[in-house]
Amino acid sequence: MDIGFVLNGQHVEVKSANGDLSLLDLLRDRLDLMGTKEGCGVGECGACSVLLDGKVVNSCLTPAGKVAGRKVTTIEGLAGPGRGELHPIQEAFIETGAVQCGFCTPGMILATLSLLSENPDPTDDEIKIALAGNLCRCTGYHDIIRAVRRAAGKMRGGRP
Amino acid sequence: MIDIPAPERIGVRERVLGRTRYGFDQGREGDLFLALVRADRAPARIRKINTAKAEALEGVVRVFTAKDIPGRNSLGIIPGTKDQEFLAQDLVRHLGQAVALVAAETKEIAEAGARAVALELEDIPGVFDPVKALEPNQPLVHPGREGGNLLLDRRVVKGDAEEALDRCAVKIEAEYFTSHVEHAALECEGGRAEIQDGRLVIWACSQNPHYDRNDVALFLGLKPEQVRGFQAETGGGFGGKLDVSVQPYLGLAAWLLRRPVRLAYTREESILATGKRHPYRMRYLSGADEEGRLQAMKIDLLGDTGAFASYGLAVCLRAMTHATGPYFVPHVHIRSRIAYTNNPWAGAMRGFGVPQVAFAHEAQMDALADALGLDRLEFRIKNALRQGQATATGQVLERSVGLVQCLERIKPVYQTWRKKIGGENQGRLLQGIGLGAMYYGIGNTGVPNPATAQVAWTPEGRVVLYTGAADIGQGSDTVLVQLAAKRLGLAPERLDLVRGDTDLTTDAGATSASRQTYISGNAVVAAAADLERIILDEAAEMLEIHPRDLELHGEEVRAKGSPGNAVAVLEAVQSLSAKGRKAKGEGRFDPDILALDPQTGQGSPYATYAFAAQAAWVEVDPDSAMTRVKKVAAVHDVGKAVNKRSVIGQICGGVMMGVGMALMEEFEPGRTTNLQNYHIPTTADAPQIEPMFVESEEASGPYGAKGVGEPALIPTAPAVASAVSRAVGRPLRRLPLNLERIMAALSGGDREELDPEGC
Repeated sequence: MDIGFVLNGQHVEVKSANGDLSLLDLLRDRLDLMGTKEGCGVGECGACSVLLDGKVVNSCLTPAGKVAGRKVTTIEGLAGPGRGELHPIQEAFIETGAVQCGFCTPGMILATLSLLSENPDPTDDEIKIALAGNLCRCTGYHDIIRAVRRAAGKMRGGRP
Repeated sequence: MIDIPAPERIGVRERVLGRTRYGFDQGREGDLFLALVRADRAPARIRKINTAKAEALEGVVRVFTAKDIPGRNSLGIIPGTKDQEFLAQDLVRHLGQAVALVAAETKEIAEAGARAVALELEDIPGVFDPVKALEPNQPLVHPGREGGNLLLDRRVVKGDAEEALDRCAVKIEAEYFTSHVEHAALECEGGRAEIQDGRLVIWACSQNPHYDRNDVALFLGLKPEQVRGFQAETGGGFGGKLDVSVQPYLGLAAWLLRRPVRLAYTREESILATGKRHPYRMRYLSGADEEGRLQAMKIDLLGDTGAFASYGLAVCLRAMTHATGPYFVPHVHIRSRIAYTNNPWAGAMRGFGVPQVAFAHEAQMDALADALGLDRLEFRIKNALRQGQATATGQVLERSVGLVQCLERIKPVYQTWRKKIGGENQGRLLQGIGLGAMYYGIGNTGVPNPATAQVAWTPEGRVVLYTGAADIGQGSDTVLVQLAAKRLGLAPERLDLVRGDTDLTTDAGATSASRQTYISGNAVVAAAADLERIILDEAAEMLEIHPRDLELHGEEVRAKGSPGNAVAVLEAVQSLSAKGRKAKGEGRFDPDILALDPQTGQGSPYATYAFAAQAAWVEVDPDSAMTRVKKVAAVHDVGKAVNKRSVIGQICGGVMMGVGMALMEEFEPGRTTNLQNYHIPTTADAPQIEPMFVESEEASGPYGAKGVGEPALIPTAPAVASAVSRAVGRPLRRLPLNLERIMAALSGGDREELDPEGC
């Protein structure tokens, strides 16, 4: 089947995709967008998180056909067009030391974006609930939670 | 205190932009895909491997079995115990062992090919319990092996433990158990290989690229120089990427087919077929005098290495040297053994046996303090190792012994929390506060383990650090660049880094044993010092001033006391270059150790030790047994912290992994398959962590640094277990403390397992 959708703001068309293809494999294998990671393949780890119409989903469990006509945002779609320009969430992750090996980072950042677009000023408990589907083995989440708070401050326009 | 400027973490920008290519992401158009055929039961004798159906599939290029391996089909990190068959030869020794390798044009065809290989396996008797494995007339995991199922049996003997125990006012005897634990690095093992100019080139996730290159060469019957290995960016390791994983398979297929190939493990494969933390059975008999001074310990340790040795020897020795905990004990008798079984193999995992013994030695400390009627923290302070005292192996600690400071620093937190729960305990939830302390020898146990590095100025004006040290996310790239920059008087951003390419860098040893900051850090500082010497010598000729009267000031060499008399470093470098010489400094560092005596275990196995103390506050729901770690305070003596942000990152990550080990993590062969049934902590499990450090400067370290990677984890499980035990009012002696075990403890439980034995 052919799948047309809006990927990071641009219309794309994928020809003759397998019916059982996942969105994750569509992104990685067909579109060469390797920023979306696979950590388990069963929806437990969140490394494959992307936004579908602004809401976070596990792309490993999302059939590729389901995104036809919809908007998908991956980590590659977050930074601004200028060279070196980062999204405030990306800046906050760097500034707080929330990135160690970085394998969970794309998914964490997209889950954070999904949270902050609905709740611009979350409490720590709300952050913990929102990110509970995204595993990290390096940081103990301590600096990730700080990063989300800092990003929220930046995006509200206040001081971080 | 020396200030070491910290730059933005190297590689972090690529990571937040999703541009980092990990081993798992390696692949190019035209690669063949690999898939493994794994045994679905073990142990078994291989009757037949029928590959005809798989080979007949369109798109399958070839199916490899053990007979296709041109070199040595038994690999492993430690010379003398290289016993891991990468494709099983005659026997399948553990569930999930690879038996055949399929190469095909697509991933789907490779997987279909793997399914089409028919294995004829004949079940044979096996042994799955390390205690049983050492009894007479048991099945042998490696038939014909001298020593049978016993991998290693060593002792530490100091003083006369038996006699001293007779004199003790209090004695505690108990048995402790830990389980198989999975690393669960977020990146599963992966990589790619191709042939370039007749050589094999491999990119793969790794904690030890030079070792990988050498073992792949051995596997293929090649010379090491016929193989070039790259450490691909690595998505976490925790010891799980110290053994080779995908590399031999990539090498075999690329070398024999002369085509590029790729292989990435599924999470199921990564859980089933890579190393685990060794499960341990630990018997302790500890005694103290009336004043609460530890007098003697008699300890018997038994670990399960599963089907292969891997890092078993190292774990056996490190568990042994750390078994007493960080306390002064005049009389010690420790026996440490590791046995083969038909369980999946155990290897290196963050802490190398120390997290296991720490669970036991800390529970013993609690029990002794209680028996003496002493405060648990004061009892630890009283017995903490101090400068000038000797460890169990007779090593006198001369410097940087920050344990008492760690314990003193945790004291106000511990006391405040205890006061708080005094009030809150009237609530429905059971509360407990627990303590854990540890020490950890930096570097490998009692053996040389050097690192080498180079630092160069190029005639084009680049300053380049060359290191073989794998950065697996912990941040060694940044720390090593900081150290080189500090030594050269340059901003860290001024340096370029070449890391983990076996052609361009030299061996730095493994990223393990919390050794890269201390050992590679020292090698890097030595390389920078060597480069300084080269530059000063050249500048001396140019300025006609003796080198001892010159000083390096970053980009310039100046005459001492006459700063106007100077030459740019770049000019000196170009002058060298014009003479055909390079401005490249060489550095090497091997920690100062004294090997353990094989009979008595006496010696100085590590050049320096890190110390730590942690406190944990838990809440247990008495109805559901649901247990939550509310807070952890973690104080670490890391020597001088080179990069504070990274040290905090290591501490917090270690604490969380320790919470997992304490409460939920247990790999059960055949039952644990993926992350839905192997649970690691999520944000929902995250306690509030209070990281603190004591900077007890280590004179032999680079600018005073020691290490922190493994120490971060070690005290947590003991502290959490102690807190849970306080909350439920019973000693708990088997990890993890999952719902079933806590429920059993709450309801009176299995007294055999929960109650002290003897004494």
